Amino acid sequence: MGKPKHGDIQRANMRNGLAFAAPALVGLLTLTAYPIIAAIYYSFCNYTALKPPVWVGGTNYVRLAHDALFYKSLGNTAFFAVLSVPLGVLVAFFLALLLNMRVPGRTFFRTVFYIPSIVPVVAGSVLWLWLLNPQYGLINYALAGLDSGLRWLDGLLAWAHIRVPLGVGQPGWLADPAWAKPALVLMSTWGVGGWVVIYLAGLQDVPKELYEAAEIDGASAWDRVRHITVPFMSPHIFFTVVMGLIGASQYFSQAWVMTGGTGSPANSTLFYSMYLFQNAFQYFKMGYACAMAWVLFILILLATLLIFKTSARHVYYGEGG
Amino acid sequence: MTRRSFLLGGLAAVAAGGCRGPAANVNPHVVSVWHPWGGTMAPAFRRVCAAFERAHPGFTVRAVFTPNDLSNNQKFFTSVAAGCPPDAIFVDGPQVAEWAERGALEPLDHLVRAAGIGPTDYFTPCWKQCEYAGHVWALTFCADPNFGFVWNKADFEDAGLDPERPPVTIAEMDAMADRLAKWDDGKLKRIGLIPWAEYGSTNSLFTWGWAFGGSFYDERARKVTPDHPGVVKALEWMCSYARKYDITKIAALQAGFGTAEQNPFYVGKLAMTCLHISGIDEIRRYAPRLRYGITYIPYPPGGEPHSSWVGGWCMGIPKGSRNREGAEELLRWMCATNEGTIAVGQASGLFPGYRRSPCFAEVRNRPGVGMLYKILLETRHQRPVMPAQAYYMGALQRAVEAALYGQKTPIQALRDAGTETQAELDFILAGQGRRG
Repeated sequence: MGKPKHGDIQRANMRNGLAFAAPALVGLLTLTAYPIIAAIYYSFCNYTALKPPVWVGGTNYVRLAHDALFYKSLGNTAFFAVLSVPLGVLVAFFLALLLNMRVPGRTFFRTVFYIPSIVPVVAGSVLWLWLLNPQYGLINYALAGLDSGLRWLDGLLAWAHIRVPLGVGQPGWLADPAWAKPALVLMSTWGVGGWVVIYLAGLQDVPKELYEAAEIDGASAWDRVRHITVPFMSPHIFFTVVMGLIGASQYFSQAWVMTGGTGSPANSTLFYSMYLFQNAFQYFKMGYACAMAWVLFILILLATLLIFKTSARHVYYGEGG
Repeated sequence: MTRRSFLLGGLAAVAAGGCRGPAANVNPHVVSVWHPWGGTMAPAFRRVCAAFERAHPGFTVRAVFTPNDLSNNQKFFTSVAAGCPPDAIFVDGPQVAEWAERGALEPLDHLVRAAGIGPTDYFTPCWKQCEYAGHVWALTFCADPNFGFVWNKADFEDAGLDPERPPVTIAEMDAMADRLAKWDDGKLKRIGLIPWAEYGSTNSLFTWGWAFGGSFYDERARKVTPDHPGVVKALEWMCSYARKYDITKIAALQAGFGTAEQNPFYVGKLAMTCLHISGIDEIRRYAPRLRYGITYIPYPPGGEPHSSWVGGWCMGIPKGSRNREGAEELLRWMCATNEGTIAVGQASGLFPGYRRSPCFAEVRNRPGVGMLYKILLETRHQRPVMPAQAYYMGALQRAVEAALYGQKTPIQALRDAGTETQAELDFILAGQGRRG
């Protein structure tokens, strides 16, 4: 029996490799690629899932352009994305800086701040429903305490004619159309543990000698963060901004759980994905929902391209990188 | 067996596992049914199934709990589209016409003819909501008289009101609500009534809309009429509560409401409300000491006295059902026989839609339940029977909220809901542009 030829081994490897990769490839093609492509076709059809689709050209897109709820849901989603992403980045970055300090119990604190990220979405949402409860919630309880503290201080300083700003108040949160979205933004910062881990990893790569040199030159802690840490961390921040933007554009589960899928109060939490879901599975307008999905895809693509275009000025990939 | 044939065989088995075999291989004595009965109703439905099996030796009912909300529509519609639905399905009354128009249900004309059942065997609204486009698509499993109007006698005493005298008119109810509202440090601790919290804002609008003499749908003209003067008046009246007690303060109070033992009526936070028939058993279970009375819904001058509408679940046969014969027998027995409807009534505490059921003989004398039976006998309405029902419910919910929060006037909100829904309805009736 002769020794197998090199070409035979390569062919066998290729065959075996493809065979082992086949389940993933088949899954990708049938469960991801096919639905995406089919959705383009359905977006030009009236399709209710049980009857064959009927080609109607661009009707769905025209109807979308005249749909007030489409704009409302788009506005709600943009509001959420514009507030939650920067806030999440700031909070995660600040936490990462704190958790990077060499203090006793550092591992414990890192675990504590990561735990919310592994709490199931529904459980976390129900928990926040109670935290945000306008009458019995801990958040308003704390705000009421703050209010009475400020009132006390105001009384104390009255003799000096110093007025302490009052009126922090206790918002209605999810019961008030003006506060419902800020409530969800607040809740979103609770789950930034994943971003903290990314930033912590990034912080390990910042050259220590730069800090030492800056310290010798008399740079303050703030200067060191601003001129060394932030530039070195910019690729990580850039990554989280892009991923955060995509995630915020598809925001669904928490709002669905917390408002019972209605977008209450008064459509203030009707997010884009929620309205898309309603059209697909409540009103059986599958073609219309597919059109919405493609519009969202194009909007996310444009926003991401815009961020990429402007990133050259803000993101530092190291010398020659 | 070679390795290749083993792999191919395995793949074929996996592919076949996704669905049951062809109809010829189906065991005619096994009937699968998807039902919405969870919680304390789950064992009740199991008892009904067991009674069916006892009455049909050799038969097995395979009952699967699938909550009927959006996700179940998703699951059910996917199963129909894939050609492997259950043999029988529970469908909510207002969903029947829509599911029929969408092609998810089979007509039951054969069953109705063979079993010799007709409109007079059912409470009129129950039969009406199962009939669409000249066919019968479902049979009523339970008929819910929506609603009994209940008041908390202890709260009435606390507010200096006569606990044995409930409101009859809207004006009386408003005056009582004023006295029942309790404030503490700017926060509502108890409220007399929340007119939009009667099982969701849409069902609330239906309830008060009909009580104010309104109408929601013109069947002959196939036009939705949410801007009917009676409905507009009802929404204007609902908004008066939002203004008087401050909608955000009420919403803050509502945020602490729960279900079952935390139901605001049971715990004294809400003094008057509309009660679903299941509430009677719930109160017995969770608030046995609650002193309450039950009567007809109040109405304004020119409105509809003793107003109510029928809700409740129906049973249908999905398109593509493999064991149609078995499913028909299950439907017939549970929804149209003396024996089956007695089993349903006894196990669940609900009323069958089958008005000839002997179970009513016993029901009419029971405290609380007897009053609900009287309401059911007089009930005239069912939610609109038309194929854009889900959309209409959504549009009405948005209209109520927009008006309550002052974003639109009631008439404007309802007109907008009407325009949007009519466009949707016309579109569906025209066969989605062209029929597929």
